[in-house]
Amino acid sequence: MEKRLIKKDALAGIAKKMAEEFLVWAPVKKEDNVLFEPLQKDGEPFFAYLNSKNAPKNVFFPHTEALMKFTRTEKGMVFSSDENKADSSVLFGVRPCDAHSFALLDKLFDQEKYQDAYYITKRQNTTVISIACVKPPYASCFCTSVDGAPVASEGADILLTDIGSDYLVELVTPKGEKLAKYFGDAKADAAADTNKNEIAAKAIEAIKSKIPAHEVKPILDKNFDNPFWNTIHGKCLACGTCTYMCPTCHCFDISDEVKGGDGVRIRSWDSCMFPMFTKETSGHNPRVSQKERWRQRTMHKFKYYVDNFNAIACVGCGRCVMSCPVNIDIRKIVEDISKL
Amino acid sequence: MQNPYIPYPVVVDKIITEVDTKDIKTFRFKFVNPEDEAKYAYIPGQFGELSIYGKGESPIGIASSPTQKGYVEFTVQKAGVVTSALHEMEEGTLMGLRGPLGNSWPLEFLEGKNIVIVGGGFAFTTLRSLINYMIFGDNRKRFGNITVIYGARNPGLLLYKDELIEWQKRSDLNINVTVDKGDATWTGREGFVPAVCKDVAPSKENAVAVICGPPVMIRFTLPVFFDLGFSKENIITSLEMRMKCGIGKCGRCNVGSKYVCKDGPVFSLAELDKLTPEY
Ligand SMILES: Cc1cc2nc3c(=O)[nH]c(=O)nc-3n(C[C@H](O)[C@H](O)[C@H](O)COP(=O)(O)OP(=O)(O)OC[C@H]3O[C@@H](n4cnc5c(N)ncnc54)[C@H](O)[C@@H]3O)c2cc1C
Ligand code: SF4
Ligand code: SF4
Ligand code: FES
Repeated sequence: MEKRLIKKDALAGIAKKMAEEFLVWAPVKKEDNVLFEPLQKDGEPFFAYLNSKNAPKNVFFPHTEALMKFTRTEKGMVFSSDENKADSSVLFGVRPCDAHSFALLDKLFDQEKYQDAYYITKRQNTTVISIACVKPPYASCFCTSVDGAPVASEGADILLTDIGSDYLVELVTPKGEKLAKYFGDAKADAAADTNKNEIAAKAIEAIKSKIPAHEVKPILDKNFDNPFWNTIHGKCLACGTCTYMCPTCHCFDISDEVKGGDGVRIRSWDSCMFPMFTKETSGHNPRVSQKERWRQRTMHKFKYYVDNFNAIACVGCGRCVMSCPVNIDIRKIVEDISKL
Repeated sequence: MQNPYIPYPVVVDKIITEVDTKDIKTFRFKFVNPEDEAKYAYIPGQFGELSIYGKGESPIGIASSPTQKGYVEFTVQKAGVVTSALHEMEEGTLMGLRGPLGNSWPLEFLEGKNIVIVGGGFAFTTLRSLINYMIFGDNRKRFGNITVIYGARNPGLLLYKDELIEWQKRSDLNINVTVDKGDATWTGREGFVPAVCKDVAPSKENAVAVICGPPVMIRFTLPVFFDLGFSKENIITSLEMRMKCGIGKCGRCNVGSKYVCKDGPVFSLAELDKLTPEY
């Protein structure tokens, strides 16, 4: 693997230089939040952030996107164009947990049998640059419990690690190597590697929040009907925030919009927390209350995804924990399940 | 990479009103591009997403058999937005069709066995596909006895009336059509599907029961088949869940770890026992 060193203060300049050539998604400050947004001409990336408020999944899976357009003819509405397109772009500076989420979403959207063209096109045209967490940003981070780590490159093409005076730049994939020219020509030496490994080990140590994420799988296998499921959802508002904030939640709706003679088929994020999500036209709803919906959310992340893809569908970012208005905490739920 | 969300363009070639209440119609589609027909190679038990631009999409079981060439048929009950728009369409209208989607009736498993088909109401559609497939030409030799038990609330609600008459004429089919309540002209059986199953009492020997219908029918029919000695491996059914993508992405239709759209809709009772009872 190709490795370079860059000066720490060079980062913003590199992002801006890339932005002259292609679309660069970078963390930018917006009021009190940091969000990944396309870097504007005179925009300033904000790399001193903890993590972005929203998960960066919207780069590959936008909260709403046009799938196709159609138009009216004498014989009815007919297809007019496939809206599957993506500019060559760079997603600059995501945290390793969020990069890990892309590897998890790939398993679903890029299966052998059905390939989700819209997700895959964006993913293929985007180079992901991660910035390692040498210090865990939040007390609620628990990436190490769900097969992640604060200094890890899964899902990323380039990993940047702050090793003191410099960033160690690891060009992890061929896609990452293609951007080598932006990172100067200072080759990293063995000392930089050793340094990084020590930092990585310390960062793992520093993650104090832990959940028995693997232990609960065999328990979930047997406890679909456990009365425990009555105890989670009591205060849930069914607002869907947890699912919208989550980097691995991928449920969506498809709907049509028509204006005059033209129309567009749109997909937008949906949420298993909503009563309508599974409601059929007949009125029948297999998930009648918030209890069933919370059970679905938990099962999906810690059992169903494991059954289907051999991976837990949670990267331990803690966003759902921090943003739930009534403080429902997935860590506590998993902890409680482990004691059933 | 093929984009699985883009429908094939089809034209509504023929519309057949199936029932007296006029709220169930069969729609026959032809592909606008003839080469798409080969791409739409399907197996009985699969479904398609009927796509009406501006209204949306609905998952509907394929009612024709792959042995019927040149077109594909769906029998649709008028329910909400998309199905109502469909019911208002005229022959010659253009729309879209995605698929074929889902698994299918397990043809290889059924081969060489005696087949008992039990259907109720408008869920008979993919069973019709299966029957027409099994009795087509040399296909018939690949299956043992075929017994069909099909019921509707009244004679006016029976689907595929002409075909039922044709099937009844064949000596290699045992067709039992029943209605909950007959009318002045009805000369056939009266009675609920479970009672007729009990009466017909198909043998479990080398037999598979394929059962599809409204939940109450299924609830009362299954015990009859258990009493007849059918094992859960040898009872097959098809599930329905609200769907959008139809290809296992949108996360809407899962029962436990399985997506009804992609891993189903067809499951044996033995397979369903392993899933969560949430459908
Ligand atoms: C595998 C499968 C096979 C089916 N086969 C048939 C058939 O042969 N004939 C028939 O008349 N009906 C069938 N249905 C039911 C049919 O899909 C719904 O009645 C139909 O989608 C209602 O759509 P709507 O737009 O008219 O109603 P609306 O209430 O306006 O529904 C909005 C949307 O929700 C979804 N939706 C709502 N209810 C259902 C449901 N029960 N199942 C799946 N998606 C739903 C659809 O995407 C629909 O477009 C089948 C369903 C499934 C899952
Ligand atoms: S479930 Fe919560 S902690 Fe896990 S990835 Fe989603 S938002 Fe992050
Ligand atoms: S964020 Fe909290 S209140 Fe909102 S749906 Fe999720 S668990 Fe319920
Ligand atoms: S309909 Fe989207 S996952 Fe089944």
